[in-house]
Amino acid sequence: MPSPFLTPGSHSSLDQLALLHLRRDHAIPTVLRLHDDEDAGYKEGKVETTRFGSFPHTTLTGQPWGSQIGASKVDTGSRRGRGPQKKNQKLKRKVDDIDSATPGESPKAAVAASSGFLHLVYPTPELWTTSLPHRTQVVYTPDYSYILHRLRVRPGCTVIEAGAGSGSFTHAAVRAAFNGYPTDDSPATKKRRLGKVCSFEYHEQRAGKVRQEIHEHGLDGLVEVTHRDVYKDGFLLNDPKTGNSPKANAIFLDLPAPWLALKHLVRHPSDGGESPLDPTSPVYLCTFSPCLEQVQRTISTLRQLSWLSISMVEVNHHRIEVKREKTGLEYERVRGAVVFPKDVDEAVTKMRHVEEHSRKYRQMMHQLDDEESTPMPASTTKPETEKDEVPEADASTPQTSNIPSYKQGRLVHRSEQDLKTHTSYLVFAVLPREWTEEDEQKCRAKWPPHQVDLTQPEKPKGRKQLKRERKERLEEEQKKQQEEPTPAQELADAAEQA
Amino acid sequence: MHSYVRPNQFVAFKLPSDATRIQKVVPNTYISLGKYGTFPANQIIGRPFYLTFEIHETPEEADSTYLRVVSAAELHAESLITEGEGDGDDVELNEDGTPVRSNRETIDDRSTQKLTLEEILALKKESTGAGKDIIAKLLESHQALDQKTAFSLAKYKLRKERKYMKRFTVMPLDVSLLANYMLEDKDAARTMELRDELIGLIGCWGNVHHGGSTSFDDTVTKKPNGRYLVVDDTGGLVIAALAERMGILYPHDGDHDDEQQDAIERPTVAEGDEAEKPQDGEGQSSDTPRRPRRPHMSASGNTITLLHANKQPNLSLLKYFGYDQDSPSESHPLYTNLKTVSFMQILDPNADNIYAEEPPTVPEEELATYKPSKRSSYHRKRGRWMRVRRVVDDARAGGFDGLIIASLMDPCSIMKHAVPLVAGSGPVVIYSPTVEPLTEVMDLYSTARKNAYIARKRELQEQKEQQPEDQNEEGGKMYPELEEEFTLDPTMLLGPTLQTSRVRAWQVLPGRTHPLMSGRGGAEGYIFHGTRVLPTQEIIEAAGNPGRKRRKIAKPTETETQTGSGDGVDIEMTS
Repeated sequence: MPSPFLTPGSHSSLDQLALLHLRRDHAIPTVLRLHDDEDAGYKEGKVETTRFGSFPHTTLTGQPWGSQIGASKVDTGSRRGRGPQKKNQKLKRKVDDIDSATPGESPKAAVAASSGFLHLVYPTPELWTTSLPHRTQVVYTPDYSYILHRLRVRPGCTVIEAGAGSGSFTHAAVRAAFNGYPTDDSPATKKRRLGKVCSFEYHEQRAGKVRQEIHEHGLDGLVEVTHRDVYKDGFLLNDPKTGNSPKANAIFLDLPAPWLALKHLVRHPSDGGESPLDPTSPVYLCTFSPCLEQVQRTISTLRQLSWLSISMVEVNHHRIEVKREKTGLEYERVRGAVVFPKDVDEAVTKMRHVEEHSRKYRQMMHQLDDEESTPMPASTTKPETEKDEVPEADASTPQTSNIPSYKQGRLVHRSEQDLKTHTSYLVFAVLPREWTEEDEQKCRAKWPPHQVDLTQPEKPKGRKQLKRERKERLEEEQKKQQEEPTPAQELADAAEQA
Repeated sequence: MHSYVRPNQFVAFKLPSDATRIQKVVPNTYISLGKYGTFPANQIIGRPFYLTFEIHETPEEADSTYLRVVSAAELHAESLITEGEGDGDDVELNEDGTPVRSNRETIDDRSTQKLTLEEILALKKESTGAGKDIIAKLLESHQALDQKTAFSLAKYKLRKERKYMKRFTVMPLDVSLLANYMLEDKDAARTMELRDELIGLIGCWGNVHHGGSTSFDDTVTKKPNGRYLVVDDTGGLVIAALAERMGILYPHDGDHDDEQQDAIERPTVAEGDEAEKPQDGEGQSSDTPRRPRRPHMSASGNTITLLHANKQPNLSLLKYFGYDQDSPSESHPLYTNLKTVSFMQILDPNADNIYAEEPPTVPEEELATYKPSKRSSYHRKRGRWMRVRRVVDDARAGGFDGLIIASLMDPCSIMKHAVPLVAGSGPVVIYSPTVEPLTEVMDLYSTARKNAYIARKRELQEQKEQQPEDQNEEGGKMYPELEEEFTLDPTMLLGPTLQTSRVRAWQVLPGRTHPLMSGRGGAEGYIFHGTRVLPTQEIIEAAGNPGRKRRKIAKPTETETQTGSGDGVDIEMTS
């Protein structure tokens, strides 16, 4: 079965993982099935209940990826199969289903609800990282994207990952190394290696969980999960002593003490066993440690074990929010806006208005004082002031209402509220291929070390020119065969051609 | 995989000064590294990457140059010794608690170095030991050496090593290295100041990966996997990065590197279009049993389609990976898997002369009477026309698995035409060196705008129902008013996100661990990302926040996005 992570196809299908996207950073992973394993007892078969409504899997299956799916009316109150005495019946029905191969009772057709929807998207390592069940600290996208890039994990590579953890790195790594599914009829040939991930996990329960996820996600054969204490037992597949070498090109160690595992990652292990590294290529390594002390010990061990190009970096990533900031006196009663003069002109105009107003008020009071009549009730002055303000407000509204609300204000950006200021330090290193004196001698025989043509290297020949030359050569040879040339001549010709 | 230096390959030389030099390794020539020396290329061909070599030569003796591999122990010698001595961070102290050596006594002038410039130059000329003897001499003749603290001594030695050591490290030229090289050693503007860390992010958010081997996978029959649409104005760096992730960048990718041999032809890359295989190989295939030629840009899956603004795309950086844009080698995987289409061909294909004018077909009998040159030119023209047709029609049909943009042009104008070509659930990723163009994109997909769009669309729909004129509906362009107001459909992308990432490098030495003191400024680099979705044509109300519906007209639909709740009021203002 193809994995929806790698080759999702165009439509969602049964028994595949799909993500129900509710809002950014909130997607529900679910394996599409008509009948529920846990059997929550909905008439519609398996149903996903979210804060935006209920979604029977019948409405999610066979849809184009990316579709917007409306919620359905699902009776969540009176479910069949709740309550203890019905459980037996349920089991029986389940057995019947399996026996008869065709589901005994097909799920009821779903009825559209009045509101609520979600988007159906195929899983990617990025979405999986934000929605996976956390078991340990997760390696997030900014880190793993850089790590995989620096580790040169490319299609056909073999990656060792120690500390599978929650499996976020596992999924990203298998995507990077993937170049075809292993099948029985076309096993990896000598010419073409199939990329894979060898994942090691110390915690037995977590290893089991990762293995189960890998199976559910259709990644069997691409990811090999091993339950192992790598400090002690190293990185060989199957048996720690006699097992096969994964022949890794890249290694990612997310361990508390990576330096303890490094002794197994050498070209010639001290116990005489097989090396887990690919003998024909350089090996790239990355360790992921939150503390500086861990980094120092790791790097010191790397130096002793002859790793090269050792470097340490940290990744600083932040997301940016963009919004329209509305400042101005006209934004009264608008949510999120700041009612404050937008510029000096507006401030002065407003001040003028206020001053004018109080001047009138004072004048009026003076008049009243002068007349020395009975003071007017305060209520009569109030309406007057309001009258004054109303035309002002009316004057400003037409200005803004010309522009639709989504275009009002100034476009600004800032970092999002919660920042991850430190995830871990990343240590990178390379172990070159082994190079022996014997290899060197072979190479010298093939490429004479001091042979240098002093003629300027020619410009690369075009396709046409090569063709013409080949033709000329053929003609020449034919001519020569006719003439039966002397060996000396032939040699000279050969030299010329070389 | 990069396991050894192949002849005629571009490789990078890391020099003691930390500069990088990129050169093609042509057999039987000299490679010159400037002041760090010259050596015959044959001495590194076939050798593994990441080794550090030292150039040794005896002056005035022909063919005396030889390269010595510097062992890792030697390269790490200094730090290993310091570590051996102790933790390194305990500074030796006098009885009164002051450090034994401090920089209190240091004399800040050049008079402390007793060797004159002439003497140093003479030394350089006679030097045989790859510069080590010069450094030893310099240290010896430094008058105030004993006054230096351990740290400043290390720094002094390092400075001199950078200047005089005849050492270099051979590195494989890959995308990561090229990106850093363009940024630091070359003209960064040519690659839009694209940083290495952002290349990784683009690839991941773009979900760019190998489409799977196509021979047995049955899903392929339905829809080819791994087709990406790209706009790249970085001279080919983005294309190279994507091709690297898809396994179609290196001509020798996937070859097993057991034996060292010259350019072996790549066995399989992709299956060509069966129907078209024979068309240009016919005439001359009699001499050798060559396998049928794979036509240019013919692969169906695991391909990159490049959208470009001018007649020809600029892919000059691909030459470092053995792909010459002007006369691409047929054995290179990009020959079949990189397709180029101009924006004009997408929007108005008939304006393109090659696309629009089909060369007349000539029947076989008549063709047989042609001269070979005329026949081949006929085949070439026919082949070109068919190629352009196929590639353009293919691109216009859409259904791409992702859209990646790194362009000098306004991203909004690109998105208007390119986003509809992406298949549902496919990612859209835009890189920009500065944040401003991307804030505009974010604004185009803001919740307020989305809601206004939906409300307006429904308004127009209702209007239309009231006056049932039978207008011929042209797919998406049902509502010209809508397009005029919004230019692009904001409901097509889900979860628009803007982000930036930057790595900070550290120096880790015994007792001297700290972040590097200086780095490159310039553009920060930002990435926009969203997921293409297929909005339903039916009217669906959003669930949630029911309390906020004080509307006069029929309640406009509301999209649930991350900021969901705060937008009801904004709509009210427009309606």
